[in-house]
Amino acid sequence: MGSRQIVEKSLSMLRSLPRISLANIRDNPNCKKKSKRGRAQHGGDKHGAGNKGSGQRQNFMRLGYETGNNPFYLRVPQEHYYRGHHLKREYPPFTLLQLQTIIDKDWVDISKPIDIASIIKSGIYTFYPDQKQFGIHLTDEGLDNFSAKINIEVQWASEQVIAAIERNGGVITTAYYDPHSLFLLKNPKKFFESGQAIPRRMIPPPDAIEYYTSAKTRGYLADPEEISKERLKLAQKYGYDLPNIENDPNYNMLCERKDPRQIFYGLQPGWVVNLKDNCILKPKDQDLLQFFNS
Amino acid sequence: MATVLRSQCAFARLFVGKTGQILNNAIDLGVKLAPEPQSALLSKNYSNYAHSPFVTKIKKEQYEYEIVKKPPEWTYVERLLPFNTIPAVTPKETYPSGWIPPREEAKNLPFFLPRTKFHDLPIYLHVTYRGMRKISKIKRIEGDIWLLNDEIKKYLKEKNKRYVETRVQEVARFIEVKGDHVNYLIEWAHTKGF
Repeated sequence: MGSRQIVEKSLSMLRSLPRISLANIRDNPNCKKKSKRGRAQHGGDKHGAGNKGSGQRQNFMRLGYETGNNPFYLRVPQEHYYRGHHLKREYPPFTLLQLQTIIDKDWVDISKPIDIASIIKSGIYTFYPDQKQFGIHLTDEGLDNFSAKINIEVQWASEQVIAAIERNGGVITTAYYDPHSLFLLKNPKKFFESGQAIPRRMIPPPDAIEYYTSAKTRGYLADPEEISKERLKLAQKYGYDLPNIENDPNYNMLCERKDPRQIFYGLQPGWVVNLKDNCILKPKDQDLLQFFNS
Repeated sequence: MATVLRSQCAFARLFVGKTGQILNNAIDLGVKLAPEPQSALLSKNYSNYAHSPFVTKIKKEQYEYEIVKKPPEWTYVERLLPFNTIPAVTPKETYPSGWIPPREEAKNLPFFLPRTKFHDLPIYLHVTYRGMRKISKIKRIEGDIWLLNDEIKKYLKEKNKRYVETRVQEVARFIEVKGDHVNYLIEWAHTKGF
């Protein structure tokens, strides 16, 4: 019998048979195995759980409990590695090499000031403000190869990193954002879609004020004259010629800074951004203006 | 200014603006003030927080806003919105990060290795068995995979000065190389122009 005949035969059989439905399907024969009761040496045992008591009931004790002994985790003297961990701020690292890579791949536009929002937009960096992470710590990996003239704002930077950026004629600022503003910077689109007014940025907590008002760390609350002095000092320390920013064609871009109360570049607190109709709502009321500018 | 203070408990709400009526707080202690009947307020249970009234009256319900369509500041908003697609790389003189763009001449070879959407080479390291087994994998190979396999084997033998085992999967278009040779493989791909 040729294969053609088989096909025709099976097709004709299919036509005469009833349709397959949930009502007439069943398992393949012998595909289900019934579990059998064991009859060998350990057939009727208790599966290692013993006879009677908390063992049989699988009543597991809490972690570290040693049934009345002084538990191990309490027996050793305490060492306070993590004392105050719930109060410490964390700054997840972002390297200069990664920064140079996203500049090379055009994932970040260096003709405009770079801040945490534009670095997150590139997709290479992420952080979680709800886990006490307060933004970017720019680290020194790849600082020898770094060669881009940028105006960057990060949350934490070491002296070497500041030197690496200023050597190339760039500008670096360290700025503090409170967790609420960081949520906005992490996902600005989501915030704009929520239809809320852009809030004010809060001032840093007492233990961070020293860092963010210091000219050595290029804090955003530091005196600009002090910063220009420190720039010169750092150039002398690391032995490079400080490029003159005043004569630079991108002088305006390099001088662009946010207000200490501002979260996004160019957008004032109190404004509402409407992405659907492409319009911005600016408050006119005196009460609101006073509130958002305070 | 949507935030309007609401009292935390019903008790405090009772005395807002009425502190003078509390006997000990009254300025004129000579006058005895009879406490007013407060049963209506005390017994009131609100179904939820949102339904409870404000402690103080809101000055205005609606504030005046100036609505500007496509203002000059809109560029700052557009800057913040996420990319729709991963941007293409514009050609530059140098790439200090060490990233190398693909070259045109690679298209004339009998085999081809396209870049991923992140503009990187599809060469990966798979570490399994707690770091005991390391396998370098070249994915998405187009064209003559067997010729590419021969070239890789030759290149890695020269570099490592020993024979290197590979596995070719013609259907799934990948080659697995035993051991961590990712850097050598990327080096080789760059010399070919991929």
